[in-house]
This record gives sequence, C-alpha cells and structure tokens, in this order.
Amino acid sequence: MHLPHIGVWIAAFLTISALSFLYKDNPFFRFAENLFAGVSLGYFVGITLDQTLMPNLISPMRENFGQNWDLMVPGLLGLLLYMRYVPKVAWVSRHALAIYVTYYIGVDFTRRLNGEVMPQLARLIQPLSPFDLQTLFTLIYIVGVFSVLIYFFFSKEQGPITKRISRLGIWFLMISFGAAFGFTVMGRVALLIGRLNFLLFDWMYPILGL
Amino acid sequence: MADIFERLLHLDRRWIFLFVLLSVVAPILVPIGLPVDMTAPTRLAFDFIESLKEGDVVLISFDYGPSSAPENDPMVEAIMRHCALKKLRFVVCVLYPLGGLGLANNVVAKITREFPDLRYGVDYVNLGFKDGASAVMRRMGDDIAGAFPTDVNGKPLSQIPIMKDVHDLRQVKLVFTAATGIIGEWWITQVHPQVGTPVIIGPTAVGAPKYYAFLNSGQIVGMLGGMKGAAEFEKLLRDRYPRMETFYKTTRAFTATKGNDAQTVLHAVILLFLLLGNIAFFRHRRASARA
Repeated sequence: MHLPHIGVWIAAFLTISALSFLYKDNPFFRFAENLFAGVSLGYFVGITLDQTLMPNLISPMRENFGQNWDLMVPGLLGLLLYMRYVPKVAWVSRHALAIYVTYYIGVDFTRRLNGEVMPQLARLIQPLSPFDLQTLFTLIYIVGVFSVLIYFFFSKEQGPITKRISRLGIWFLMISFGAAFGFTVMGRVALLIGRLNFLLFDWMYPILGL
Repeated sequence: MADIFERLLHLDRRWIFLFVLLSVVAPILVPIGLPVDMTAPTRLAFDFIESLKEGDVVLISFDYGPSSAPENDPMVEAIMRHCALKKLRFVVCVLYPLGGLGLANNVVAKITREFPDLRYGVDYVNLGFKDGASAVMRRMGDDIAGAFPTDVNGKPLSQIPIMKDVHDLRQVKLVFTAATGIIGEWWITQVHPQVGTPVIIGPTAVGAPKYYAFLNSGQIVGMLGGMKGAAEFEKLLRDRYPRMETFYKTTRAFTATKGNDAQTVLHAVILLFLLLGNIAFFRHRRASARA
C-alpha cells in the first residue's frame, strides 16, 4: 500500500473541515476558514514583496541609486497610503490615493474605449440588407442595450413610453442574470466535483490500496 | 401524497446537501459516459488551433489560481495536448499571483510526461510568474524579454531557442488565457487592440456569459466556458486524434469529461428539487387560501 504524503492528508483534512459547515458551524470549519484567510494574506504579502517591490523598487535603487532615484516617488506615494492609520496626518493618504485612482482611470479609459466600446459598437453597425438571422440578432442586441440604458436613466422622470421601454429593459436584464446564474451554478458544481475528486482519488483510493 | 409535499416544505436542508453529495460522488466512482453536446465557441476555438501551421507559437497564460483549478486545469491541459499533437510550440506564462505558478508548473510537468518528445526550450518554454498583469501584457506587446528577462529557471531568454523567433506578441499566432478574473479580459481589451494577436479565452463558468459579447464582436476567436467547455474540447480532441480517445478512456487523472457526468446528474437533481419545491409551495399556498 502506498499511503498519500503529508500534504494530501493536510489538504484532505482542510477540505473536510470546510465542507463540515454544511452540517453545522464547528471549530474545524472555523480553523480551516481562518487558516485559509491567513495563509492567503501571508502568501500575497510575500509574493508582492518578492515579485513587485524587490525587482521593481528595492533592487534597482540598491544597485544603481543614481539612475533610479526617481523610483522614490512611487515608493513614497505607496508609503503615504498607510498614513490613513495615523489620524493626525490621515489626509495625506488621500493625495496618494488620488494619484493612484487618476493613473488607473487614465490607463483604463483608453482600454475600455479601444478594447470594449469601439469594437462592440462597430459590431452593432451592420447593414440591414440582406436581412438574415444575424441581422435579427443584431437588432435584438440594439433593442436590449437601448432599453436597459433607458431603465438606468434616472435624470428625468419616466413617462408612459419610457416606462414601457424600461420594463423591456428589465426583461433583458432578467434574462442576462438568469444566464449568469445558470453558469454560476455550473461553476460552483465544478469546484465541488474537483474537491470530491481529490478526496476520492488522491486521498481515499491510495489509503484503500486501489 | 399531500403529506409528502407538506413534509418537503419542512425538509432539513442537510438532506438536500446529502443528495447533492451522492449525485456527485456516484458518477465520479462509476462514470456513465453521458454525451457531450458541442457549442459554437468551443468548436471555433478548436478549428482555429487546427488551422495553425506546424511550428507556430502559441502563448498560454495561466491567469487563474487554485480556487478555480477544477475548471481551468482541464481546459489548459487540453489546449497543451492539442499544441503537442499539432506540433505547435508553446510559451507558458503566469500572471495570476495567488498560486498560478504552482499550477502552471504542475500542468507543464503533467503534459511533458504525456508527450516525452517535447523538448524544453525548443518546443515549449515556461516563463514563470510576473506581477502587474496589465503592465506586463503591455510590455510583452513590444518586447517579451523586457517583461520576462529570464524563464522560470532563471535562464536568459536570449539563450532559449524558441524565444529567438519570438521577440514580441506579434510573432505569437494565438494567445490562450485560462482565466478566473479580470486578467483574461485584459488580453482581449488591451493586447488584442495593441498587437492584433488572436485570443481564445477559457474563463470559469461564472465569467463565461460576458465573453459572448467579445466573441460576437470578433475580439476573440473562440471560448471554452468552464468545465463544460473543457469537456467539449476534450471530445473534439478525441474525435480528431484517435490517440486521445484511448488516453481519455484510460487515464486515472481528473478530466472535464469525467466531471461532465457529475455535472449533468447534479443538474438533474437540482431541477428535480426545484420542481418538487415549487409544487409543494403552490399546493401549500392553495390549501392556505382555501382555509
């Protein structure tokens, strides 16, 4: 018999501990939950130090400060974010946050425009002739987008016509939420299958010598 | 009969959990081999890879972590098998910080065991992990070595034969991203407009609906949606390559095809409970109204 190694035993124990919550809350579940949160955080901090701060900030400054002194600016901005924990100078952190948010908006704005808005719009602008199934779908997309936008337009009180259009928008939203929910169930089931597959084939089968 | 429905309304939900457990475990232990229906996004992905020429380079990006591995692992394995069978060269990179590198190393090791002819550095290379996905992609569009100066073992890219033909993403014929979150979307919205490299995405099922819009607009050339998409891809591989038929029938490793049985059975059970629950609810309401 070839028993599974210690890592598999620990993983099996933690998996069963997590699933035990389905029966009722218990100390094993609490232990697994806290351990997971702690390990995830620790791993993320470690990997950020090792893969982001060391190669992009600390090492370049240590190796050639003369050429990389400007890295102090983003480094200091990063440190300023933590000033929010010092009540007297908490306001300073807002400046760093403002720069961070502005930078991200700048980067993301072009990405959204070039990568989403323009190609999606271009896809919708189609000739109506010849009128085939694809043209019909395009018209449905247009009606869907328009009615959903009307539903989310709160700047003006809705009249009888816009109310009907927004009602149609609700239908489109519900259909899209339904599709998303169906896929979500499928995804969660896949995760359960993965864990049970692990428990059976990586842990139990070797113990039973199968 | 009425009594049964009345009892259903007050059924302890743990009984339902037990049914769910049994309906997943049973098909895993005794595979049924239920048919896998094909969907267009997976077919498109498969056909695109089939259209590539021997020696073309495919970039495979691990943009997921252990939390979605049961969904993403089978799809990325199937794509790598397809590359190996088609004699396409592949470059692996990891942009997901939480455990992505470990998964990539495991999958690469698994596939290279299945295809011992694959030569490291010639047929494939593992570039490892780099933090800051958006910036890394941007850099890769102009200079891959600028983003990944070395491979996962610390060897400079200039010394790796496969990378001599691949300076930036323009020389890559396809990007496949197995993704659990926003990183996969960035390949589509950032890299594709930047360099025009075709993208196939393998999202988790939760994320799949939103990528249909990208598929319709031609921003991606195919999609493997969750475990179902992976099972479809495995079926296409089995149909096209007889060697894979034997492999998927005999392997003890977890595959999406095996998971597909459990998915189908469990969905049937969920639907059954939905039906019974609704019947019980409406019967109870009608009885209350009469009373």
